[in-house]
Amino acid sequence: MFYRLSGTYHTSYRADRRLWKVPTDRWLVVALLVLGAFAPLYVSPLYLGSYVLPWVIWSAAALSLTLLMGLAGQLHFGFAAVMAIGAYASIHLTRAGIPFEISLLLSGLIAAVIGAVFGGAALRVKGLYLVMATLAMQYLVDWVVVNVPWISGGAHATLRTPAVSFLLLPLDSLAARYWLALGWAVLLTVFFMNVKRSSFGRALVAIRDKDFAAAVIGVDPFRTKLMAFFTSSFMGGVTGAILAFCFYRAVTPEQFGFNVSIQLVAMVLVGGLGSVIGSWLGAGFVLLAPIFLTNIISALAATGWVPVSQNFLSHLPLMIYGAMIIGFLLLEPLGLAKIYDNIRKYFLVWPFRHARS
Amino acid sequence: MKGGQMNWMRKLALTTALVVGVAGPIHAEEIKFGLLQDFTAVYTFVTGQYNQGQQDYLRLVNEEGGIGGNTFTAIVRDTGNQPQRGIEAYNRAKEEGAILFDFLSTPVSAAILDQAQSDKNVVITPAHGRGDASDGTVFPYVFPMMATYWAQAANLVEYMKQTGGLEGKKIAIVHIDSPFGREPGPILQALSEQEKFEFKAFPYASPGNEQSSAWSEVRRYRPDYVMIWGAGGGQAVSVRTAIQNGIRPEQIHSVIWLAETDAANVGPQMKGVKRFEATASGMDHPIIQRINEKVIAPGKGSGETANVGNSYYNLGVATMAVAVEAARLGAEGGATINGDALKAGFEKIAGYDAEGLMPAITITGADHQGGGAGRVSEWDGEKWVPVSEWHAAYPDLVRKVIEESASHYGK
Repeated sequence: MFYRLSGTYHTSYRADRRLWKVPTDRWLVVALLVLGAFAPLYVSPLYLGSYVLPWVIWSAAALSLTLLMGLAGQLHFGFAAVMAIGAYASIHLTRAGIPFEISLLLSGLIAAVIGAVFGGAALRVKGLYLVMATLAMQYLVDWVVVNVPWISGGAHATLRTPAVSFLLLPLDSLAARYWLALGWAVLLTVFFMNVKRSSFGRALVAIRDKDFAAAVIGVDPFRTKLMAFFTSSFMGGVTGAILAFCFYRAVTPEQFGFNVSIQLVAMVLVGGLGSVIGSWLGAGFVLLAPIFLTNIISALAATGWVPVSQNFLSHLPLMIYGAMIIGFLLLEPLGLAKIYDNIRKYFLVWPFRHARS
Repeated sequence: MKGGQMNWMRKLALTTALVVGVAGPIHAEEIKFGLLQDFTAVYTFVTGQYNQGQQDYLRLVNEEGGIGGNTFTAIVRDTGNQPQRGIEAYNRAKEEGAILFDFLSTPVSAAILDQAQSDKNVVITPAHGRGDASDGTVFPYVFPMMATYWAQAANLVEYMKQTGGLEGKKIAIVHIDSPFGREPGPILQALSEQEKFEFKAFPYASPGNEQSSAWSEVRRYRPDYVMIWGAGGGQAVSVRTAIQNGIRPEQIHSVIWLAETDAANVGPQMKGVKRFEATASGMDHPIIQRINEKVIAPGKGSGETANVGNSYYNLGVATMAVAVEAARLGAEGGATINGDALKAGFEKIAGYDAEGLMPAITITGADHQGGGAGRVSEWDGEKWVPVSEWHAAYPDLVRKVIEESASHYGK
């Protein structure tokens, strides 16, 4: 009823390869796009600037990481460092007088090259050992940023982003910064969905499932793994630059610390490995759930419903948040994306009870 | 029964209003301070007690009738030291009408500084944040209002000069490997040329649970004085490892972040260790006594009674005492208190010492540090005993570093 399938026939290969085969899905996507594009008109600056904007940017970061972790199966626990490279590179390039559009691309390339160098470890090691190699990247990049004043910006290690414009649109207003971030996130989303059905995407999946089996059927593991690190780091680098210019506007090393890497991994896992909608849902959950919980608990405390000390009050949201993560993963180990999928499948055949797929 | 029901419904309505983020009407007589701090991540060693002192002091002011009819409300939120949560908390508190903010977190302060300046909201950065914000001509709405890290380092060096002389001596500075740990570098460089001493920096990796390698190098360096520059759990590790490496407690001089908890963690060996302090500790001060009498005794305190009078508790009290004094001065002549009026009030503060709890500070349009005075105190086994008088050390040199660093801002 909600997803009318009657009358939907795929009579050509082209129709069968569409991204959204069911008309309802297409309408949902269009509606979401319109809602997203016009968000500055109906969302208050508080919610646009502190909830929607970071959510969009972190979704882009989660998409970049899930290409590597979800599709190619290469664990990466230092992704915040990749974003840091992008952020610092873009600021220094724009300060050197290079137009913002070009420095975005260059910062992505720099992040991609450095990311691929560390990704080289993936050619030798797998699993937990790769985690260690990428952790080393995190700490090395952190160390270099903190210890080279030329990069971090001197004694206070705070680097402000210069005023820039993107394709003649000055990035001063919140709306302009939001649109740029949204545009990048949408671009990544479309790219990701298309990668999944390209030969490169299938090669990544083959590598993930068994790399020597992939080699037997003619996929070059060396090239594919490096390409995976390169692509994902490029996406992450540009996302880091967008994060710096559109959200923080003043960059400090702490913004790209180890805890941020872990948060990104959590977004990808809670959302569902290798899933597009999972990246969006996971980013929203990991980023915004603690904020919502903190505000709700504080509001309850303000009215005298939760009479506890400030210390406990601050930790209570974290306990609930932790319990929620465990709860979600127990309920559905494949992440929020699978929960969404279950709901969609339920409505696909509603009012009947069983879906075939 | 009916009254109870009404109360319940009002509570529910209010809760709903707060949950959906609709702020109630702002009363002209209610001044709101946003204390959006890190209660759960990195700064936990200080935030609990510090914030407790802040809340208790604001409650004391309200109990005593406020300032000219104005009462104070603290908006307290946890930011977990995450900039994006700090930005959210800032924007929300701003909508609720807060005009002064204290983040007690370097990354969060850094992320919000520009925004707060363009919103014309006051940010106080006592004993943290960037020291060059002391230059009020560059940072009009930021008030460090206590000795910056540079002033602290200068104060400790001057104390060494007075106790054992400096010429030809060696100072080892053992610091956490972070921008904060590097802060005293430039001022020590300048002082070493002026006072003809030698110094060497020994960084240890964050968070500092393990510092053996740094300290074994310090041992080979054979310093006359040792400065430790860290925070939280790493501080107790520094003192303990130093003593294991043959450094006498009397040689150890610490940044402001060394308190009763660290002394308890180190144990009896701690006796003789010195630290910089910007506010006095202990219960023996008029303001703390009044808090005890009017807030703690009636059971209106905001935390554990045992914390009252601790170093960080008193530090929190002092920050709010200065802020309330600024609000009082800003409201003189019947001005409505907003960010601008509060800033003007801060810049009128002259010779205010919170009834002896802290050194007298004078804030001007150019000097937002308030003079940068402090003193050195020593752990006597039970409490911190002051061993020098309140004063500002090498003020001209500190000012030079501040202006030199502030001149890079905005480039």
